[in-house]
Amino acid sequence: MHEVSIAESLLKIAVDECKRNGYTKINNVRVCIGSASGVMPEALLFAFNALKSETIASGATLTIEEVPVSGHCSECSVDFTTYENFVLCCPQCGSTAYTLHAGRELDIKELEVD
Amino acid sequence: MKFKVASKILEANDRIALENRRIFSDAGVYVINLMSSPGAGKTSLLETTIAGLKRTLKIGVIEGDITGTDDAVRINRLGVPVVQINTGGACHLDANMINQVIHDLPLDKLDLLVIENVGNLVCPAEFQVGEDMKVMVLSIAEGHDKPLKYPLMFQESAALIINKIDLRPFLDVDVEKIKNDALSLNPSIKMFELSCKSGEGVEQWTSWLQTLTS
Repeated sequence: MHEVSIAESLLKIAVDECKRNGYTKINNVRVCIGSASGVMPEALLFAFNALKSETIASGATLTIEEVPVSGHCSECSVDFTTYENFVLCCPQCGSTAYTLHAGRELDIKELEVD
Repeated sequence: MKFKVASKILEANDRIALENRRIFSDAGVYVINLMSSPGAGKTSLLETTIAGLKRTLKIGVIEGDITGTDDAVRINRLGVPVVQINTGGACHLDANMINQVIHDLPLDKLDLLVIENVGNLVCPAEFQVGEDMKVMVLSIAEGHDKPLKYPLMFQESAALIINKIDLRPFLDVDVEKIKNDALSLNPSIKMFELSCKSGEGVEQWTSWLQTLTS
């Protein structure tokens, strides 16, 4: 949800970082989006393309890396990984005694600039 | 030319949320972010809570709605400090909105601040605003399927108020299922069954609130 405001924040960070490092044009932005982040990659891409036009990222592409949810179940000791949007219980044993280490990221990783 | 960036996209909101948290902490006020669907009873719960605790706790309220001041008017009648935020369309409160009004309340004089979020069972759970705790309200009239349909809200909340229990004789609702499903999503969630209308169960809730602020 809120892919438009997330795309706005993403563009602002990218533009600020680009300028801060002395560059004037963004060609690509690479982001990591967790499967359980609540953000739909297609919607984020749509919003990014709609908002980039008045900025130094007007010709930029957006590369989205989807990060799966990963966690550990203390009931059956399994380490699990899934691309599900929500984890309600351990996929192996159904226990709710699990912790997640990844899957809710919304991070900018890299810029390609001129 | 490529270069690495190590930035969280929601960093701006979270940074402001931390600033809000520091301001609240310096003033010694405990802050609750109160969330629910529209009509579950957040404002009624606030009225009931204020009536029950007025002699023991100094309470302030930040009201969040898309438009209108109905809720702030209701709280104002009870003689406690209240500020109304109108989001103008945004479906949840964010840290910046709270930051804009944070100095409009006498924080130094408050023990407890309740931020009543926009009625929405989805988005408020995703945003920190500087609160100590998220609390949600579910009225039994909404049905017993809601926890599994809206897991994040239940996972993020420290407490769940199961409201409108006075309606139990008139509804085909399985309250035990609500509680079991909420616990399966969040084993440490604290639950209170109550009715703002009849007063049943309210004292357990207000007693618990007092322990948080002491």
